[in-house]
Amino acid sequence: MKNISVDIAVIGGGPAGLAAALEAKEQGAGRVLLLERDGDLGGILQQCIHDGFGLHRFGARLSGTEYAQRYADMVRATDIEIKLDTMVIELTKDRVIYAMNPTDGMMRIECGAVVLAMGCRERTASQVFLYGFRPAGVLTAGSVQRYINMEGYLPGKTAVILGSGDIGLIMARRMTLEGITVKGVYEAAPHLGGLMRNKVQCLDDYNIPLHVGMSVVRVHGKKRVEGVTVAKVGPDFRAIPGTEEFIPCDLLVLAVGLIPENELSRGAQVEMDNKTRGPVLDNNFMTSVPGIFAAGNVAVVFDLVDYVSASGAAAARGAVRFLKGELGGACEYRPVTAGENVNFVVPQRVRTDAEGPTSFYLRVRQPLKKVRLVCEEEGKEIASVRATHAAPPEMMSFEAKLSGGALTVSVTEV
Amino acid sequence: MLEKTVNEMLAKTFPDEKVTATVDERRIVHLAGECSTYQTLIDVGHAVAHVEGVRNVVSDMTARGVVMKKKDYTPFVEAGEKKGVVEECDVLIVGAGIIGCGIAREIAKYNLKVLVAEMGDDVSTGCSKANNGCIHHGMAVKPGTLKSEMNRIGNKRYDDWERELHVGMIRPGYLEVVTKMEDLPKVYARFELGLKNKVPGMKILTPEQINEIEPAYEQNGIHPVAALYLPNFGLVETPYVCVALAENAATNGVRFLFNTTVGKVLTEDHKIVGVVTNKGIIKCRYLVNAAGMYADDIAEMAGDRLFTIHNRRGTIAIFDKATPPTFHIPTAILSGLVKKGKNVESKGGGMHPTPENNLLIGPSAEEVPDKEDTETYEWGVDYCMECCFQDPLLHKGDIIKIFAGARPADFMEDFTIEMSDVTDGLVHACCTQSPGVASSPGVADRTVGIIVDDLLKKGEDVHVKPDYNPYREKPVEFRHMTREEQDALIAKDPRYGRIVCRCEQVTEGEILDVLHSPVVPHSITAIKNRTRAGMGRCQGGFCQPRVLEIIARELGEDWIKVNLNGEGSNILVSANREEGDEQ
Ligand SMILES: Cc1cc2nc3c(=O)[nH]c(=O)nc-3n(C[C@H](O)[C@H](O)[C@H](O)COP(=O)(O)OP(=O)(O)OC[C@H]3O[C@@H](n4cnc5c(N)ncnc54)[C@H](O)[C@@H]3O)c2cc1C
Ligand SMILES: Cc1cc2nc3c(=O)[nH]c(=O)nc-3n(C[C@H](O)[C@H](O)[C@H](O)COP(=O)(O)OP(=O)(O)OC[C@H]3O[C@@H](n4cnc5c(N)ncnc54)[C@H](O)[C@@H]3O)c2cc1C
Repeated sequence: MKNISVDIAVIGGGPAGLAAALEAKEQGAGRVLLLERDGDLGGILQQCIHDGFGLHRFGARLSGTEYAQRYADMVRATDIEIKLDTMVIELTKDRVIYAMNPTDGMMRIECGAVVLAMGCRERTASQVFLYGFRPAGVLTAGSVQRYINMEGYLPGKTAVILGSGDIGLIMARRMTLEGITVKGVYEAAPHLGGLMRNKVQCLDDYNIPLHVGMSVVRVHGKKRVEGVTVAKVGPDFRAIPGTEEFIPCDLLVLAVGLIPENELSRGAQVEMDNKTRGPVLDNNFMTSVPGIFAAGNVAVVFDLVDYVSASGAAAARGAVRFLKGELGGACEYRPVTAGENVNFVVPQRVRTDAEGPTSFYLRVRQPLKKVRLVCEEEGKEIASVRATHAAPPEMMSFEAKLSGGALTVSVTEV
Repeated sequence: MLEKTVNEMLAKTFPDEKVTATVDERRIVHLAGECSTYQTLIDVGHAVAHVEGVRNVVSDMTARGVVMKKKDYTPFVEAGEKKGVVEECDVLIVGAGIIGCGIAREIAKYNLKVLVAEMGDDVSTGCSKANNGCIHHGMAVKPGTLKSEMNRIGNKRYDDWERELHVGMIRPGYLEVVTKMEDLPKVYARFELGLKNKVPGMKILTPEQINEIEPAYEQNGIHPVAALYLPNFGLVETPYVCVALAENAATNGVRFLFNTTVGKVLTEDHKIVGVVTNKGIIKCRYLVNAAGMYADDIAEMAGDRLFTIHNRRGTIAIFDKATPPTFHIPTAILSGLVKKGKNVESKGGGMHPTPENNLLIGPSAEEVPDKEDTETYEWGVDYCMECCFQDPLLHKGDIIKIFAGARPADFMEDFTIEMSDVTDGLVHACCTQSPGVASSPGVADRTVGIIVDDLLKKGEDVHVKPDYNPYREKPVEFRHMTREEQDALIAKDPRYGRIVCRCEQVTEGEILDVLHSPVVPHSITAIKNRTRAGMGRCQGGFCQPRVLEIIARELGEDWIKVNLNGEGSNILVSANREEGDEQ
């Protein structure tokens, strides 16, 4: 078995991993290794051929593939080692990685620091309690996107989409452009799950109806989907009897949420946050295990790739500091509390020796108009942001200069 | 006489139902009439089956407002008769479930030409695909039944199947635990029942002994005062057992004909001479009826209407490996456990690990009129959750798969394994509800014994083939190897260096292995049953397109023709426009 030793290993070559590897190099790290199980860099962006990426980072409306390409080119221009087709199958809490590919076989990689950037996976039919038969024609949005955009095949003629997050909305448009009839997008929550601009551009422009407060409750058809039963649902997401309606279709697309892919993190005994389903992070994006950092969708599901890249860079800066010994030794943490109207904040805690600017990411609990976001450190306001509105689908971000005290973040209507 | 007794019982017990019974010379009761509900229909059937002297029950009963479809075989028969005779063999087995596959494997050792006709596209597409995979200890079956005997023999014989075929069985044993002193008699009562069912190796354990083999009780605040330990309890993944059996059978010359529905049985002089399938006529001397849910149809086609099968559906849920089973040893807590509305005829309704250590809960037991009804409902899952003693760590949200299976039960609630007494050459191996999986080696031995004895009686030369190979090599299972072994394997063959299913760590090499195995899988599900690709937490979200691509490539199939599970379940419907334009 090959033994390798590196300064920083980045697991995952999506936007988070690419940004992390690049930043680590820029910060002067020696041997940086990027491990990606796919045959190409770019992560989920490889199948996002729609535009709307990189408005913050590059000031341009790029497609997902173009955004990934720009980063991949920058990474390839450095001496960062890239291993494609390479799957990490284990990470220990002492920062040993076991990774494999057809040419190197199984490798044992000792790492000075590790950045987790494995992204997330999609929730499945059983996880949203879809009952009925289990025929062909029930697919996650990601699979549909892969079949259509990368493989060149259509998995149906008439579709119903469950879930009105950005992915569901974008797939509604994509399928329509490919000649699939989209009967409607159903959303169990009482409000839109994705960005308003995506609803306008992806549904309204194509006359695709959105049904909020409704869900798919049964799947019909033994071999292939023959239709679905939709119904109004109550606040407990259970169907309201008498409101059922049968919709004939041969494809049910599930866009019902993403789950951070943290199996490796759990194996390394990284402490997890039940809210974000990602690791508990500190202001350096370090997990509870010293030397292991996390960024991108593995840490928390982002909606803007620009934030993903920024979190990757932040984690890499932390990793380099760890290598320099600046984060060693015992340390204490102060919590970052999700205050009024705030669902969660990442990072979840700060070191008492924290100093300087740090970026935070949060989601609000419900839609709000004309808001002010305030971050207080030990009761003292250290950052504030104003916005015309806030909504759960739109992640908010702010930067604050820290001096090591406990933080509370709140968003209120003004 | 018997007819009178049955009709009197019906009039007394079900005064409002318009049901009449006739009894033939074989003591088979024929029920006709309309019941008020489907459940009443089932209750009537069971009540009649309980009357002393009744051999079995055939039902033409209907239930008010309930559609009870009978399968129409005409199109299959018409297609097959056009094709004429396509095959000839000594023994034709109908059905490639665990029963049919077990028989195929055991009969393959003899100098007989054997074919298996299966209407699905692979082995294990019926009841055998969706069950708990428990190799029951044999406690729960009624003493004195055929089920009890088959369970006992079958359980023991799984050791041979595991040794010779690597069917993937583990034997964690089973613990029936009491936590209150006053419940101690329950343990003794169970021990007594075990003695009656000849369950081997039972022990009553002290709290110390329990803690030694299963520390998780104390760790979870459960304090057993005693337990009945049943060391012979085992677990399998039934579809995988079917594959192992079928592969070994195929190695020894048995051929499996998939997508082949038997629609008519040909007899001459009350003797089996062949069957008509959609693929053509197959001549045979023996017909083994291992058709599960449709065994009553096959029996009727062969002129031996002996029983009626009804679907007792069971819902099951499987949890993410991140929520591993609390107890390593499957457990029943006998103290203070009330199972609501538990069906008395089928066992189960608990929680246990799978051989790969996923937590499994269920099954429920629901009588449903449609034989192919394996739909899931919310209440089915809720029932499964309730049956599992309140485990605070168990969240519905960690379920990765909900599914249901259909038990082929007759009204006697016992297996039928016998040579027909009206149609020579027709051998029944059916009515196999639980514990059909646990019993299958026993059922196979008995069925093969019936055929071989009959051949010997007829003075034929039947013997074990000199080149019979009882072994099946253990397939590569990357996930269970050490890092060093994995490294060496990849060095030898780099195709094992590419992970296709990331949740279960299945390599491309393993998928290629099964695509070139003796019983070639054609669908995504067939690959899943052999390799576990798609069985993990993302349920194929990631690997399905990749598996589809490999199947298409290796078998030279069009992408659009690749099915999820059987004809008509294609995943893709067309190439998209850009590609079409290019062509
Ligand atoms: C359908 C869809 C539409 C979107 N639309 C937009 C949009 O319009 N605008 C926008 O800004 N954002 C959009 N996003 C969001 C954005 O694309 C994601 O947030 C971003 O790609 C997440 O980046 P990541 O690097 O964290 O994860 P990913 O892109 O998922 O990358 C993770 C990488 O890690 C690899 N990996 C995982 N585990 C291992 C392992 N064990 N070993 C080796 N490698 C591993 C994976 O193969 C993958 O390449 C969209 C996302 C989706 C899914
Ligand atoms: C929820 C549930 C849980 C269970 N748990 C357990 C357990 O833990 N342990 C246990 O021992 N048992 C269990 N059982 C019972 C067990 O699954 C069955 O006893 C067993 O699978 C029956 O196998 P079989 O081969 O007889 O039937 P099947 O697997 O149904 O096989 C019959 C085959 O015949 C084919 N067929 C039918 N008609 C025709 C035709 N006309 N032409 C061609 N082919 C035909 C079908 O396609 C099918 O593949 C469970 C059952 C259920 C439903």
